Amino acid sequence: MIKITNLQYRIGDKSILEDINLEIPRGVFAAIIGPNGAGKSTLIKLLLGTIELKTGEIEIDGIPQKRWLKENSFGYLPQREEYDPLFPATALDIVLMGIAGKVPLGRHFSAAHKAEALEVMRMCGIQNKANELIGNLSGGEFQRLLLARAIITKSEYLILDEPEAGIDRPGVTSFFKLLKQLNEQGKTIITVSHDLNTLSEYCSLLICLNRRLHFHNKTELVNAEIIHKTFGESIRLIDKDY
Amino acid sequence: MPIFLITAILGAVLSGISLAIFAPFVTLRRISYMGEALSHIAFAGIALALISGLNLTFGAWIFVSCVALGISWLANKHKLQEANTITIFLSLSMAIGIILISLSQNYSFDLASYLFGNVLLITSTELWALAGLNVLNAFFIIFFYKELFYMSYNSEMAKVMHIRTEAVDKIFYLLLAANIVLNLKSAGIILVTAQLILPAVIAFNLSKRLHYAILIAVIAAIISALMGFGISFALNLPTGATIVVVQAVLYAISFVFRRA
Repeated sequence: MIKITNLQYRIGDKSILEDINLEIPRGVFAAIIGPNGAGKSTLIKLLLGTIELKTGEIEIDGIPQKRWLKENSFGYLPQREEYDPLFPATALDIVLMGIAGKVPLGRHFSAAHKAEALEVMRMCGIQNKANELIGNLSGGEFQRLLLARAIITKSEYLILDEPEAGIDRPGVTSFFKLLKQLNEQGKTIITVSHDLNTLSEYCSLLICLNRRLHFHNKTELVNAEIIHKTFGESIRLIDKDY
Repeated sequence: MPIFLITAILGAVLSGISLAIFAPFVTLRRISYMGEALSHIAFAGIALALISGLNLTFGAWIFVSCVALGISWLANKHKLQEANTITIFLSLSMAIGIILISLSQNYSFDLASYLFGNVLLITSTELWALAGLNVLNAFFIIFFYKELFYMSYNSEMAKVMHIRTEAVDKIFYLLLAANIVLNLKSAGIILVTAQLILPAVIAFNLSKRLHYAILIAVIAAIISALMGFGISFALNLPTGATIVVVQAVLYAISFVFRRA
């Protein structure tokens, strides 16, 4: 379980996150929603430890975050991976990156590591792209590649920051189906997303964030009032009756 | 063949290899501007060593290493734009260097040889130092290959993936500084920069895999050192500049045969 207590985050005078108290149990498919600038990506980075937590506490499986991160890692799919499309890496190289930190200094990847990477790529449906240079992959293939890199870490927690970005509609559906499968196999999924339609179908916990935590509970209980509180007046709810 | 000529040829080859082996990483990490800046910053290091009576190469290495680590620290910890930080250090170092050299009034010091390089001035001690540095370079790149590869791909993500980047990054800059400083005499401040980029762009035109690119960059450096030396000797041209022209020609040829 991830437990966040009294978390605040400021940049200078500007408050980014206020009074965040949150529990994410193991095994859930949680989604964090909110308007642009709501602090979603900041919350993710605080969880990952890539930005320093100044006020508040984060515990993972009952262990303070800093100590947990020394022995464990999250599987992480960033909002936008900064990379040079001409970089001389194959898809297999990028998946292996997920376990590079566990391979001792001076050692290279073994045949077993490569077999493991290929197996994860098969699970993500991109095994035939293993030797392809990353610059030749489509947006959807690259997102699946990053998911494969997150899975190979063997972390119980997969954190995804807007994974649907750059993927077409059928691609998003099959991507979330894959996430659901992983969730059913026991992985805890935490995803930031704007795609309420898809989320309502797949996730079991919805976290509405707009600097403060407005609501978090089972997806079915989220109603129009909560959505308006989170997004302000910037969203129009359409009740579709087919 | 006279011994000084053999020393000079070996010097040109070892100098080329030592810069070429780093060139693919300098290109992939997009720090070619850093390489250029460090070779200029070495000017202040040489001036400081001259004033304090230290060995010029050792003094310059200490100074360049401190500045390189300082730039990296400022850029990482304080989120300063690396290009701006480098420019500040570059201009400051050049200014300090000029002031110190004018204060030292050491007119016997051949500054031009450090600006433009002269491979014929390499001593046998410096040749051994270059050979030793090449061994160290090769060991560093083979040992830390995967860390260097992923740092070059995306250093932030490499940290998230628990890849040990910090120590490797520091050793990278210390070795880069040593390579730049030791090559000042043969290639000169101006030409070191070209030798840190050209072998890599030749290599990446011909291969899309990093380990092959390193090998091709080294081979390109050896060919251009030998050809450049031969042409400069035959036509009585400056050696460092001729080597760079040969590398530029190799680049043009590699461009024709580049792989999509």
